[in-house]
Order: sequence, then structure tokens, then C-alpha cells
Amino acid sequence: MRADRVRLVVVLSVLAVALVALLWPTKEGFSSKLKLGLDIKGGARIEYLVEIEREVENPSAVVDDVWTVLRNRLDAAGYTEATLKKVFRENNSYIVVEIPGVTDTAQAEALIGSTGVLYFAQVLNEYYGDDPTKIPEYVFEANREKAVWLKGRDGKWYLVRKEIMGRRDLVLEAPRILYARPEVETRVGRYGYKVSFELARDHVAVFERITRALYVPEGTYDPKKRLAIVLDDVVQFAGQVVAVITDGRAEITGNFSLQEAKDLAAILRSGALPARLVKTSAGWVAPLLGRDVVDASLKAGIIGLVLVLVYMVVYYKTMGIVADLALLYNTVLLFGVMALGRFILTLPGIAGIIFTIGTTVDGNIIIYERIKEELRTGKPVKTSIALGFERSFFTLFDANVTTILAGLVLYYFGTGTIKGFAITLIIGVMGSMFVNLVLSRVLLDALAPHIKLPRVAETQQGGGQR
Amino acid sequence: MKREIDFMSKSLFFIVVSLVVVTVSLVSIFVKGFNFGVEFTGGSEILLRFEGKRITESELRGILSGISEEFKTARIVRVSSMGDPADVLKYSVVVPKTYASEEKKSLQEKVESLTGGKLVSFNEITGTAAEEIRKGTWTAIVVSFIAMLFYIAIRFKFIYGVAAIIALVHDVVITLGFFSLFGYEINVAAVAALLTLIGYSINDTIVLCDRIRENAKRYRGKSMVSIVNASINEVLARTINSSLTTFMVVFVLLLFAGTVVKPFAFGMTVGVVVGTYSSLYVVSPIVARWGGR
Repeated sequence: MRADRVRLVVVLSVLAVALVALLWPTKEGFSSKLKLGLDIKGGARIEYLVEIEREVENPSAVVDDVWTVLRNRLDAAGYTEATLKKVFRENNSYIVVEIPGVTDTAQAEALIGSTGVLYFAQVLNEYYGDDPTKIPEYVFEANREKAVWLKGRDGKWYLVRKEIMGRRDLVLEAPRILYARPEVETRVGRYGYKVSFELARDHVAVFERITRALYVPEGTYDPKKRLAIVLDDVVQFAGQVVAVITDGRAEITGNFSLQEAKDLAAILRSGALPARLVKTSAGWVAPLLGRDVVDASLKAGIIGLVLVLVYMVVYYKTMGIVADLALLYNTVLLFGVMALGRFILTLPGIAGIIFTIGTTVDGNIIIYERIKEELRTGKPVKTSIALGFERSFFTLFDANVTTILAGLVLYYFGTGTIKGFAITLIIGVMGSMFVNLVLSRVLLDALAPHIKLPRVAETQQGGGQR
Repeated sequence: MKREIDFMSKSLFFIVVSLVVVTVSLVSIFVKGFNFGVEFTGGSEILLRFEGKRITESELRGILSGISEEFKTARIVRVSSMGDPADVLKYSVVVPKTYASEEKKSLQEKVESLTGGKLVSFNEITGTAAEEIRKGTWTAIVVSFIAMLFYIAIRFKFIYGVAAIIALVHDVVITLGFFSLFGYEINVAAVAALLTLIGYSINDTIVLCDRIRENAKRYRGKSMVSIVNASINEVLARTINSSLTTFMVVFVLLLFAGTVVKPFAFGMTVGVVVGTYSSLYVVSPIVARWGGR
């Protein structure tokens, strides 16, 4: 009985959390809780003209670089579901940004419009916690050192100074970087990826002097002699200089993941783009799928769902009702988690939801078929239920773990929409496992007296029949 | 006991069927190719502006389809800019096609005279999804296959993993083949359908392999073929019910959903059928033949 109680409490509290997450009133009402993607709901649309400097040889490569920089900025700010289109019109290049669900474009515009100057700086101190520019002693320190507190990508605060060692001639701002790319880390004792880059010739000499000034032998540590890469007033990376760079070719090591290395390389490349973005229009866009398409599909989805609900009750009777409740429960749970995690629901996400419907129903079917098998051997209902759950546990476990594994890989390697799909897939499958093993158990145990014995068991016949 | 259906004796026939369908799919993929959506290929965006005239997406689609074939599946989306007067309606019409400048002129005349709107601009757009999807998705699929292979090899047997991966490749190739044969557009949602199908197929395979693993322990005396056959029979009710319920959802979607969602529903419908079939007739013969004891 105690296990039953625990299950019931868990089921009810999870449902309560999901419902609160979904229905907690906000100013904008329900729709703002579950964020919908561009394809379903539309969003803001801003168009920029890409003004490229005249002497640039390969303008389309510059547009590509601008595109990559904007993509990275949007991704970093959490706008992974935003789309970026390159548009050509009358010999001009434009970039059209569409951001789901946003009505106020100011924040997005600030993000995109900033020209973004990259510079190298000296790190003088670091600090983890609230905004240090509001704490007198830190402000005092910054004033004394003629430095500024900037937020780092890693969440720490860094006190940085553009004039390295306080010297005017050791400043490297908007450097031209010939290439920056991720490379596989080959040194013993390190793993993952590093970033290698080369500076244009005019910056080689100053970079050599900077690295000489900040050089510390490997294995030693000097907190005041670190080099930071700053872009958009954010410390993108801070690290020690372990070699004097005389030829402008440097490496940044830090056991990065491929994505981290790619991002850092893109940040370095973005430092001095020979282009300017000019806003040409701002407004909104209706659902990309078309409102008629969204309505028709929604209707179709509901019809399909109702068919499944009816089929389960017709085929499995009492157990079918449990399956239906499990299905509805898991859908609420999925939406709740998506609202909590501020994930955006798009068409591929709906694919993930349909998959979730499938696995939830499937999980219940697997359990019921097991229970039926146990009932056919003549065991009492309660025992059969317990055995059915026990025996199907590893079937469900293996099936779901494989799917979650695939989902994690998709999340890691995929971009934008594919990531969105992977998120619904993972949440949905985990939810379905919870629902199948916990909620269905509670309901089945409660409804045990209403479960009909299969004919074979009632007549206690062994084989050869039918 | 219910009477057992003998699945295994016909397996040779079904292996031939599979090979034929896979071959047809591959031929279609390489000869006919795919009908890629505008997110992949890029194309043209036409901005239309209507003043003081109410016109809906579907009305507009109807008129434009009369002018040219490609507008039947065009994406027609209402857009608006800040500061637009209230009686102005603007639509963005996107087609996976680019036009020469003479074509643009004649199209502009036709569109303006038939719809009564003004063609504001003619943009060439790049595929937004191409970079995003191509960059990661294939790597992701291959890596996830390897991850699943390892998991199944650890939890079951290596050969079960091999069988599962062969079935997955079989399913993906056939589904892509159907996309090519029937000329359904490959868009982002279609890619999602393809990924979902991988999930379904692996689910079916695992449930079956789980039963085979269990029965192989239980009936030590029996041949692998009869164990596999018994296992298929034992999970048959589950296989049918699970596939049928999913099929209901996606088939209704295929029948009633609008243009852009159709490729997704199509991929899912084919995928559910092929995924169910492959666990029966691709996975089981391999496991029965090489699964050992």
C-alpha cells in the first residue's frame, strides 16, 4: 500500500507543477506561456541592407560571414528558432531576420544592429556573483586600474583593460583575422578541440609585444597576466599566454567541444567585418505555414487523437481508459515542461509530440499485453498487474533509452529546428516512461476489480483452442 | 495457446521484396532526385500590396495558381511593416524558383492585373534551412546510429544491433525513395518525419529483440528460428495495435492537413508502415540466421 501512496502523490504533484507552469496567469495570457514558433504563430520581421565596403573582392563571402555572425549572436541570446534569410534585390544584399513570438523588436534589433568591435584586453581580476558595477569596492578597483567590469560568456565577471599593462602602444582593436578555425586537439593530456587563427600582417608586431608582455611560463599562474577576447562588451574568452607569438599565428586551447571551438572561431572572424547593416524595414510576419494550413492541421491532429482514444477503449476496455488518461497526462506534462523551459513549439516539435503520443500508447500496450499473458496463465488480477509491470520494465527501458540516446545526439549535432525536435522528443519519451510506469500503475491498481479476465483464463483451458 | 502464424518460412520472399523496393527507391533517388522545398533550394519572394481590398491567402493562391503551376504549393504569408496604414494588406509569396528579368516583367503584369494588387518587390532568397540542416543532420543521424548500435550490442547482442541498423537504413532509404517517387516536397518538417521514423523503427525492433532475448533464455532446446517465430507471435498484438494507433494519427493528418504539413504526414505514414514491416522481415531473419544461442 505504501508504494501506491508514494506513486499517487508523485503523479499528482507532477501534474500540479505542469499545470501551474502552463496556466499561471501572465499579462499576455495563456499563449505567452507556451511559446509558438514562426511557422505556427509568426513573429517579428526585420530587414537589413548589407552595406559592403567598395574594395572588397568577394562580397558574397562577406554576406555569408555577416550571416554566420548574426546566427551566432541570435543563438547565443536564445533565439535559436529565429530564421535568417539572405535576400538579393536589384544588386543589393539584404538579410531578413524573423523572430518567433516577439512583438517588440527593440531587443532583437539591439542584438543584431550592434556593429561589434572585437579587441584583446588584459584581465586584471575576476569575480563571480552579482553585478560588480553596483558594488563600491569593485567600482573603486576598476577606477584605480582604469579598467572596466565586463560579463563573461562563462557567467563570471572580468575586470579588463584595453591598454595592456596600461600602455597605449599595446592596444589591439578590431584586428583583421585571416582565418580562425577549430582544429582537433593533438597534444597529450588534452582533449577535444582548439581554435587556431592568424592575424593580418599589420597586427603581427603589436600582437608579439602583447604576448611578450603577458607571457607566463606554462604551469605557472598569474591572475593579473591573462589575455581576454572581448566582443560586444562580453568577455568571450580569457586565458593565459603560454608562448610569445612572433608570426601572428596563434592557438587557443581549452579542451573545447566542437561547438565551443566553432563559436569561438566565428567570434574571432567577426571582429572586423568589412560591412555595415542598415535597417530597411521592421514589422511582423504571419504564421509561415499559412493560417489556413495551421487550422486544417490542428483539426486533423485532434481527429487523429480522438480516433486513438476511442480505439484504445474499444480494444482494451478498462485498461484502454487508463491508456487514454496516461496519454492526456503526458501531453499536459510535455506542454508544461516546454513552458517551464521556455522552449519554442514548431512544426518539427509537433512531430516530436506525435511521436510522444505513439510511445505513450505503445508503452501502455506493451504493459497490457504482458498483463494479459499473465492473466491467461490463470493468475489473479493483482498479481498479473504487478508481474506485467515488472516484466515489461526492461522492454520499455531499452526502447526508450535508445530513443533518448538518438535524441541527445540530434540535440548535440543538430541546429535550430532540429534541436527543437530533439527537445520535444527527449521530454516526451521521458514523460511517457514516467506516465507508463507510475501513472498507469496507480490507475490500474485502483481499477483492478473492473478488469475482465480473458476468456481462456476464465475457462481454465490450456491449449489447442481457437 | 493461440495458433502460431508462421512468419519465418516466408522470410526469403520478403527479403526479395525488401531488396526490390530498396533498389527501386535508390534508382528513383539517384535518377529522379528530390523535390526540395524552398528552405533548401532558395527561390523567389514576391511581395504584394493591396490597398483597400480584402483578400485571403487561399483566394490569392487560387488566382496565382491560374497564372503559373508553381504557385499551387507556394508559401503565402501575410506580412506587415511598422507604420503601414490599416487598409493595407501585404503578402509574401515564396516559390522555389527564380525568374529571368523578362519573366519577372510579364509575371508582374499578370499578377497585378489579375489580383488588383501592386507587386512591391521581387526578391531572390537563399535557402534558410540548407546550411542549418545539411550542416548537422547527417552527422547526427550517423552518430546516433552508432550510439544505438553500441547500446544494443551492450544490452543485447552485437548482431541484434547490426540487424537494427540495417533495418533503420532500409527504412530511411525506402521512405526517401517514396518522397522521390511521389514527388513530395522535402522540407524541414519532412526531415523531422524522417527522424521520427528512426525512433519508431528502433522502438519496434527493441520490443521484438527484447522478447527474443527472453525466449532464448526460456526455451533452451528450441531452434533460433522457432524462438524468433514464437517471439513475433507473442508481440504481434502489440505491434499491430501500436502501429495502428500511430497510423491513425498520421494518416488523418495526410488526408486533411494543408500543403506544407502534407510532406510530414506522408513521411510519417510511409515510415510507420515500413518501420513495422522492417522489424518483422528485416530484423528477424538476420537474428534468426546469425543470432546464435
